[in-house]
Amino acid sequence: MEYIRASSVDEAIAAAGSGAAIVAGGTNLVPDVLFGRNAVERVVDISRLDELRFIESAGGRIRMGALATVTDLLGSDLIQREATPLHESAVEFAAPLVRNRATVAGNIMDASPAADLAPPLLAQDADVELTSAAGRRTLPLCEFFLDYRKTAVRSGELVTAISIRPLGEGGRAAYCKLQLRRAMAISVVSVAVALWMNEDTCVDAGIGLGAAAAVPYRAEAAEEALRGRVVGEAEIDAAADAARESASPIDDVRASVDYRKKMCGVLVRRMLRKAMGLPEAARA
Amino acid sequence: MSDYEIRLVVNGKSETVTAEGGETLLRALRRMGHADVKLSCEGGDCGACAVILDGVAVNACLVFAVQADGCEVTTVRGIGTEDGLHPIQLRMIEKGGVQCGFCTPGVIVSAKALIDENPDPTREDIQRGLAGNLCRCTGYKKIFEAVEAAAGDIRKGDGA
Repeated sequence: MEYIRASSVDEAIAAAGSGAAIVAGGTNLVPDVLFGRNAVERVVDISRLDELRFIESAGGRIRMGALATVTDLLGSDLIQREATPLHESAVEFAAPLVRNRATVAGNIMDASPAADLAPPLLAQDADVELTSAAGRRTLPLCEFFLDYRKTAVRSGELVTAISIRPLGEGGRAAYCKLQLRRAMAISVVSVAVALWMNEDTCVDAGIGLGAAAAVPYRAEAAEEALRGRVVGEAEIDAAADAARESASPIDDVRASVDYRKKMCGVLVRRMLRKAMGLPEAARA
Repeated sequence: MSDYEIRLVVNGKSETVTAEGGETLLRALRRMGHADVKLSCEGGDCGACAVILDGVAVNACLVFAVQADGCEVTTVRGIGTEDGLHPIQLRMIEKGGVQCGFCTPGVIVSAKALIDENPDPTREDIQRGLAGNLCRCTGYKKIFEAVEAAAGDIRKGDGA
């Protein structure tokens, strides 16, 4: 395998355009190459492009450089305050040895249905910044995942940053990862909810689901059941039902289709209640 | 196949090695004779190959060796010396945190990184800090006790 260490974003883009795979933390790519799951002939290493490693407040949004690691998320007061679901997903993400290398951009580029950071990013209206020789374009994360492990990234494009909408004053949020162990686990289902409230009215809502379909996605019908409404028990139940109906998960060693679908409803209800400060519902 | 000559500072000593582009840091280190870095799952699941790379604890199996060119690598041998074991190593022996020993190098590396970052970890901090290190013998209890005791030793200034 040929290895190229990029010394600039332009160099990385040029190499990506000529078919090189991009590596940063390497937590997905390195074992894929080792075990022959990915027959990469050339890689371009962007891990030393320090200008891509940042978490900042910019233009009313929170911007994370492509090389921000999961450990960087954990160390960020901004994320802890303004993006609690993303912070909590970082707590549950693998374990320190992996978090220290794994990057935010790598997690979405891998495009696993169970990508841990995807639901919290989706819930907070994430945009992906893609840079190429032609310039920069911005894509909503919900349009970034096209199909199972397939992204909208074109040849010669590099994910350079991801931005999210902060929770701000009226923001309420919650996150839950259903998993068999509180570390190193692939999620059974994961749910992130973010509600932007004006008094009791939900001005905007984001609900991200993981491991519930071929790609992480926003449960739009569930969001619609909340947007513009006073959020009470009935609205939450309607959103939970819509989330359950939206799911199209798979059967695998971790859970069945039926269980995953049911849990999408249960966890969306539970997270919305938690975000709204309502007591836990009686078990259905 | 493309080969690259790289330089690593392993436990304070500068060494060079020729690595194929796709070779992992773990395999390169073992070829260089650093067999204290254990080869087990090679998928980032078990933590047996944990090393400290430029101050950050990582799985050596998840890094291409060439990515580490010019970096400092600390393995378990670089934590304490044979004549002056580190408190974590002493407590692992005393508390029975070592049985077959295969996970021990990685556990000690993770414990060192944890205590450096958080000198007074709670039991949950230790559990979370070592969550990426699998041990199939001890049931973890004795490892956690050892790390807890070692953190106390270091706070009191006993070694390290």
